[in-house]
Amino acid sequence: MELITATLTNLLILSSMYILAALGFAFLFSMLGILNLAHGVIYMLGGYIGLSLIMVLGINQWLALLLTTLIVATFGIFLEKYCFRPFVGDFNRIIMVCVVITVVLQTSVNIIAGTQILSLPPFAEGVLRFGPASVSYERIVTFAIGAVLLLAMTWFVNKTKWGQQMQAISQDLEGAYLQGINVHRVSALATFMGCGLAAIAGCLMGAYLALGPFMGDFMLVKVLMVTIVAGVGSLSGIFIAGLILGSLDSILPLLVSGAASDATAVGILVVLLLIRPQGFFGHEIEM
Amino acid sequence: MDSRFAIKDRKALLRPGVYVGLAVIVALLPLLFSSPYVLHILILTFIYTIAAVSFRTIVISGQFPLAHAAFMGLGAYLSAMGAKWLGMSPWLTVPLSALVTASIGMLIGYPFSRLRALYYAMGSLFFGIGIIQVIYAGGSWTGGYSGLTGIPALLPGIGSKVPYYYFFLGLALVSIVALYRIEFSRIGTNLKAISQSHVVASSVGISEGGYRILAVGVGCFFVGLAGAGYAHYNMVLSCSSFNFMATLWLVMYVLIGGVNSFGGPIVGTIILIIIPEYFRDLKMYSPFVTAVILGIVVYLMPQGLVGLPRLVRSKLTERRKIKKVSHAS
Amino acid sequence: MLLEINGLTKYFGGLAAVRDFNMHIDDGELLGLIGPNGAGKTTIFNLITSIYKPTRGKIIFDGNDITGKKSHEIARLGIGRTFQLNPLFSDFTVLQNVSTSFHLHPKSSLLDIYFNTAKYRRNEAYILEQSREILKMVGLDKVENELAKNLPHGYQKMLGIARALAVKPKLLILDEPIAGMNPSEIDFTLDATKKMQQQKITILLVEHNMKILDLCERVVVIDFGQKIAEGLPKDVRENKDVIRAYFGGERVA
Repeated sequence: MELITATLTNLLILSSMYILAALGFAFLFSMLGILNLAHGVIYMLGGYIGLSLIMVLGINQWLALLLTTLIVATFGIFLEKYCFRPFVGDFNRIIMVCVVITVVLQTSVNIIAGTQILSLPPFAEGVLRFGPASVSYERIVTFAIGAVLLLAMTWFVNKTKWGQQMQAISQDLEGAYLQGINVHRVSALATFMGCGLAAIAGCLMGAYLALGPFMGDFMLVKVLMVTIVAGVGSLSGIFIAGLILGSLDSILPLLVSGAASDATAVGILVVLLLIRPQGFFGHEIEM
Repeated sequence: MDSRFAIKDRKALLRPGVYVGLAVIVALLPLLFSSPYVLHILILTFIYTIAAVSFRTIVISGQFPLAHAAFMGLGAYLSAMGAKWLGMSPWLTVPLSALVTASIGMLIGYPFSRLRALYYAMGSLFFGIGIIQVIYAGGSWTGGYSGLTGIPALLPGIGSKVPYYYFFLGLALVSIVALYRIEFSRIGTNLKAISQSHVVASSVGISEGGYRILAVGVGCFFVGLAGAGYAHYNMVLSCSSFNFMATLWLVMYVLIGGVNSFGGPIVGTIILIIIPEYFRDLKMYSPFVTAVILGIVVYLMPQGLVGLPRLVRSKLTERRKIKKVSHAS
Repeated sequence: MLLEINGLTKYFGGLAAVRDFNMHIDDGELLGLIGPNGAGKTTIFNLITSIYKPTRGKIIFDGNDITGKKSHEIARLGIGRTFQLNPLFSDFTVLQNVSTSFHLHPKSSLLDIYFNTAKYRRNEAYILEQSREILKMVGLDKVENELAKNLPHGYQKMLGIARALAVKPKLLILDEPIAGMNPSEIDFTLDATKKMQQQKITILLVEHNMKILDLCERVVVIDFGQKIAEGLPKDVRENKDVIRAYFGGERVA
């Protein structure tokens, strides 16, 4: 029973974290065609800045979470303006810029924090018991934050004016310009939110697991896998793909040991991809 | 507007004599630098040059393989395991594993060869990750997370790096010449044709799927070859050298050097491996050097480093023109 | 009959772009296919050269059933074509565009190509010579070293035709070859078309412009994916159904 609740909560947390990070990535990709390979380090940065704020300013982790999100999201706007916007459409240079950002940020964190294992303090203490099962409040809170954010994002994209403008841009960039949509402002907003989401995921995962200068690489790979399986330009697919990957990552290690579970997870996704190369909600590809 | 393939630059290519001269100089380097560490760096440069140039061979067909380092790892591990567990000679396993790597690459590429390039990129990303995961999961056969040790050497019993230096120099030269021949023959032209318009290419009888798979096969063969060679030189393998970040770095070598010219990957690899080595003493700070190089190229040199001479020349002629105009008025 | 199309049908989703279309072309004919915009002319071309797969129907070329075969195989069997939007090898020079298109005749094997054998070098020399001849025939010989993407529009269309000729086609399909050309370019293309016909190349073309239609021996008219008329150009021009299809009442041309 313990195992089931632990696995279930793990599944929910991993899924929601993957989805949060992947959403941020997808905003940039579906709207401007920018493959933000630096998304992983943004996620990592979020975790480290959160920890620094707690350690240096002595504030509690909730306030740190809020401040971190604002700081990283603002940094994202700066990135979008100076590093992405000049190179929109030129895949090669976008990749190069992202590697530059990755190297700079990873090295800086490595120098400042070293490779010691650090982690954020948990966001809640104690354990909830119901019947034979028990779940730590921390897990509940983590998942709850994730779920709330996901709902908020869904509402935002579908129901607000900004969200609809984002959808318009992702469908037809030129058409959006012609309709008077201020593409620059909306993409800045999308980057703001995307980086913010990544930062939150970084803090939450930093508390749930641990921090490391290369945790970004790990998340980047997950995000890429989720985005590919979800399908290009589809946000709803990300929810499903994130859930699938989260499930695989939490259930498979119980059945198969360590590295083999990773291999199996990728293998299953590969099969999915072979059956439907365009992802779940991707467009038909007729050559 | 200039051609994406810088075909006009064929006239600007240095005369063959210069290349022979360069080759001679490189061949004589061990006489100048006897330090094993320096030789090691140069050997790594040769190996990664093969990987980078072979990456570009796939790119000119319009496909962007995001698994190239994984294939290098595949070649490395296959050859290492063949030699270690099956007792075969490395001289046999190296070419064999290159062939197997090529076959696997083609097999994987086949379902994606008829799809848009974006889907090939995404699919190859997955396969790259998958290959690495499978290697990790290989238990004691592959050494799993702790890596594979005790790999038989290419030149058993020889401690000095100098023979290895010449071996890899030779391997690099052979590979570069082989890949050069492909690119500048009708095969390469067909690949470039497919990447420009697959519709037109098909209408003149060029089998788009066939040539795409050919490009992948060739690219994977040579990167597998490089990896296999590396395995029997280093005698130790660790999966983390072949992960997604490693692929990204290979991509960097090619893009920084200039993806539109044959020499680009070579220049990029040399610059990105050797220059940071000068700043080795900065230890933790040395990646910043790399970042600076990358940043300069991204913002100032859209054609990559190979475009530098032309960029300088055009800036100088611009200035001369401005001077002329201001003198005239 | 060189080309026979039977019951060709293509649905895109629920929409029939082409429905039960029948047509044939005889050896050496110059056949025109006309119809208002959106009638399905380019779709039919794309079905013949396998850019789309038909939902139903058969296409038989020179005795072979080519329905659904791959595009490059169809080129190998002897069909060459130009495209309405005229994609080219834009980063190649004019000469390279044509010489690359000589992929099929003469054919060097991969080994010949890679090892630079005498046979390969001979083939390449021959290809260069033939490419230059084609360029001269279409009037592009002076610009052979220009990049295709830098050419003015009319030249690009001529290059498209030159490229199609390199396939040494038995059947040449021209999709709106003179759209966007100025009068002298049009005259040139008309001349070139006549010359090609003299060289026993069967030509199927789509056009709106009446000038080139008068060259045709026979004309097929389609609307909404179906054949509505067929015959000599002058007869078709006065056909009531054709007039209605184009202008809903006014006269054509």
